Amino acid sequence: MRAPSILIVHPDHKTQRTVQRVLGATGYRIDVADDLGQGVRLLAHLEPVLVVVDGSAMSSPSVKQFFTVAKARGAESCMTLVGAAQLEQMSRILGLGAVTNLLVHPMPVLGEELTITAQKLLRSDLFGAEKYLLWGTKLNATTLTQASQRSQLVGELAEQVRGRGQSARVASMAMLVTDELLSNAVHNAPIDAAGRRYRAELARDGELALDVRHQVALRWGCDGRYLAIEVTDLFGSLDRATILRALVQNDVKTSGSGAGMGIALTYRSCDHLVFNLAPGKRTEVIALIDVRFPHSERVPASSYNVFVERS
Amino acid sequence: MPETRGRLSIEPQGDVLVIKGAIDESAGLSALLERAQDRRLVLDLGGVTFINSLGVRDWIRMQAGAQRAGIAIELRKVVEPLIHQLNMIIATRGAARVTSFFAPYACDGCGREDSLLIDAVAHAQGLAKLEPPAMTCAECGAQMEFNDFPERYFSFLSV
Repeated sequence: MRAPSILIVHPDHKTQRTVQRVLGATGYRIDVADDLGQGVRLLAHLEPVLVVVDGSAMSSPSVKQFFTVAKARGAESCMTLVGAAQLEQMSRILGLGAVTNLLVHPMPVLGEELTITAQKLLRSDLFGAEKYLLWGTKLNATTLTQASQRSQLVGELAEQVRGRGQSARVASMAMLVTDELLSNAVHNAPIDAAGRRYRAELARDGELALDVRHQVALRWGCDGRYLAIEVTDLFGSLDRATILRALVQNDVKTSGSGAGMGIALTYRSCDHLVFNLAPGKRTEVIALIDVRFPHSERVPASSYNVFVERS
Repeated sequence: MPETRGRLSIEPQGDVLVIKGAIDESAGLSALLERAQDRRLVLDLGGVTFINSLGVRDWIRMQAGAQRAGIAIELRKVVEPLIHQLNMIIATRGAARVTSFFAPYACDGCGREDSLLIDAVAHAQGLAKLEPPAMTCAECGAQMEFNDFPERYFSFLSV
């Protein structure tokens, strides 16, 4: 039996070396394949904790087989890198429903995102927006104790974001993200022993007192690179399959109290959406909005991660 | 006096309904169709600050209701948060006609960012070719650059 490792599948040797250097810092042994076929052959002899696949491989017919084999060999998670050249692959990648961590960046590799994702997976230390922000960044914390506080909190957050010199566009994205995440946490997260979401059909504009179990925590902060918005509920009822389906949702539900578009709109309104799931205990969602570059210089697609705490 | 619904205010100004605030679960936009004159409803959306997923659903219902009732909707001064929804969710476009809208511009010279109003009728030819109109920076007078991807931002015009 070989030592746990990380397997990289990427056709470009220069990028292979960059990813190798970034992930080599984790201390794990790194194995490299040029394509999925070679990756499958290597997997017969490996037990990778993590596989990292280039976005260009997603159009290969053997991609599903590769994921199946990787999972069978114990790979905890699949991370896919999407560069500007592969953006047309986005809908296919999302449609696969198998990619739990997608990193999008104009360069082939963004070291910091790759490192954070890998370290979270390898250490199983998932929670907290701090991991995405520079040291010393202050996070403002509020607890939602009444459902009706949502609109007030959203308005206040937007004002404070504007007050700190961010653009109206960033404030507008922050409003949408915060509103949807709070609404999901208040109405969709609560679940009873029978698995019934007993608040999902309550009117969103109705008043609802939130006891300790139902309270929702909101934290946000900005380090000059990212505006991070973190929302946490204490139910942990959101699961990986639901998230992967919701990310590609394009149709609004015509009936019911919710519109069924909250996660999709949140994903499309931020640059990086992170789900940290502790089943039955808590769900933490972190939306990162890049505040560094003009919008026209960013990649017109977003990254996401779905992390699940090991039991 | 403007009528208030949740965080939304609606005020008639001539034959135009001026909408301000947040379009959310309390908006009840379909009721606006009753205010159509000669099967025509003109909405000034320059004061809309925010729309969430329930607001999007309400908006789609209003558009569908207008199509059923044969009401032509004209949208003026459509703000960026609404443009994003029109681009992301095709059903939000309905059969409405956008005659003016806000778009993001940035100045390379001084770094100023603005949301500037574009007359979609006057600039229809250029917009069809995904060419945003030239704009001047209010701060330094330099020419501003369109601050998004034209093929994405103007996709709502290609209904």
